[in-house]
Amino acid sequence: MGDRMREPIVIENLSKYYNRFLALDDLSMRLGENENVGLLGPNGAGKSTVLKILCGLLRPSSGAAYIDGINVVERPEQALSRIGTIVETPEFYTFLTPEETLSYLGRLRGMQGDGLRRRITEAIRLVRLEDWATVKVEKFSRGMRQRLALAQALLHDPPILILDEPALGLDPRGVVEFREIIERVGKEKTVFFASHQLGEVTQLCKKVAIIDHGQLLAYDDIAQLEKKYHSLERAYLELTGGAL
Amino acid sequence: MSEFEKLRVVTWYEFLKHLRSKRLYAILGVVIVAELAVLIGLPTLGDGYPDDLMVLAAMLSVGPSLATLGAVFFAGDAIAGEFERKTGYILFTNPVKRTTLVIGKYLACGAAVVLLTLLGYVIVCISLLGVYGHIPIETAQSFGLSLLLAGSVLSVTFFFSSVSKGTMVATVMTLVFLMVISGVLNGVLRMAGQPGWFLLSEAGDSTITVYGGYEALWEGDMPHGMSDRMLEAPDINLSIVAMVIYLVVCFFLSIWITKRRQLA
Repeated sequence: MGDRMREPIVIENLSKYYNRFLALDDLSMRLGENENVGLLGPNGAGKSTVLKILCGLLRPSSGAAYIDGINVVERPEQALSRIGTIVETPEFYTFLTPEETLSYLGRLRGMQGDGLRRRITEAIRLVRLEDWATVKVEKFSRGMRQRLALAQALLHDPPILILDEPALGLDPRGVVEFREIIERVGKEKTVFFASHQLGEVTQLCKKVAIIDHGQLLAYDDIAQLEKKYHSLERAYLELTGGAL
Repeated sequence: MSEFEKLRVVTWYEFLKHLRSKRLYAILGVVIVAELAVLIGLPTLGDGYPDDLMVLAAMLSVGPSLATLGAVFFAGDAIAGEFERKTGYILFTNPVKRTTLVIGKYLACGAAVVLLTLLGYVIVCISLLGVYGHIPIETAQSFGLSLLLAGSVLSVTFFFSSVSKGTMVATVMTLVFLMVISGVLNGVLRMAGQPGWFLLSEAGDSTITVYGGYEALWEGDMPHGMSDRMLEAPDINLSIVAMVIYLVVCFFLSIWITKRRQLA
């Protein structure tokens, strides 16, 4: 295995068909250690498909994806042990409380005892769900579920975060708090996240990938794109064929 | 962490789901009502309990049989629910083999059904002891066959749950398969004098006919025009073979399909 495969996230010639619809077209990119990269693109561009392949939820039609050098398709369990994820607006088991949910997921990841209890408390405090820690999830709003999703993604302190529209459903305060959390934890983690919010991406990332029709249109530092197109917004619109 | 440890965790939390669900208590209620209907209905509306305890034992088996059918309602959402409600986005992104998840869910459903079936047989035993003063050995055989039937019904439901997009579809498909397709085919084969041991509906009857053939259980009061084949009780050994085949084949199919299923 080459050293380049040891990068936290490596996507190589990834293509994905949904029946005859080509959702990803020979996509390749690499994310280095502690890099925070925003994945931008219009609806249906293929953002979620990329992230779901990395999370082992979808199989690529061709190409490969690696997490820390581990092929996601061939050894999904080993690859998944390195990442924390939020995919879309996830649903939780409504019969469990946040504490129980995190305990379940933590134990599946091999955490136990005092260490697990301490991490649960920290994660719940981090996403400000302390007052709801023992309330069944069935009573939760969408925003609260999204907070819980962030808590489970961070519970095991993974080196890599893969987030798909993680701020969706959060109120303005929640969005700000979410950004602060990702900004803080992202300094020591590789973060790959899809978003429609250019401002959010600019705030959290130094680098962006812009895709449309499953193809990678640009993958560069935001500063470079701003220099070339005058602003990230203009870069996005020009590259994706939108009106200025 | 070993896969066995993960299996233990999955099984426990899935069992917790059943313990906290209304389904468990609804089925429990149905089982108790069915047993009470037999125990109260016979002396109230008829001439009292039958002289032959085997007949009452067979009649009381309706409760545990309903508990066995409850497996359909426990297992219908086991796999399909993860895809339909998108909880799979949380569960499948953990470093756990899908095989482990399916086995854990199966064991948890099995534990819930065993609990209900056991309760049904406890009622049967207490009733037989109260009315006749003893419990026939066939009750233990019926209990064993009921557990095997529950296991095979669970497997069939897991299969339909693994191929269905929704919980409701999985549940309905299983019920149609077990009660309509299997039931109708069984009736047709009986009328035609052909063997039907491979059908789960016929194999399932063995939990009751273990107490005696249909003729014995109906105390000779059989409808006219019934052929020998129609009166023939299912062969216990063939019933066991049929149930084991359903249990194993459908269970492995559900694992195989779930492992390949994608969550878009």
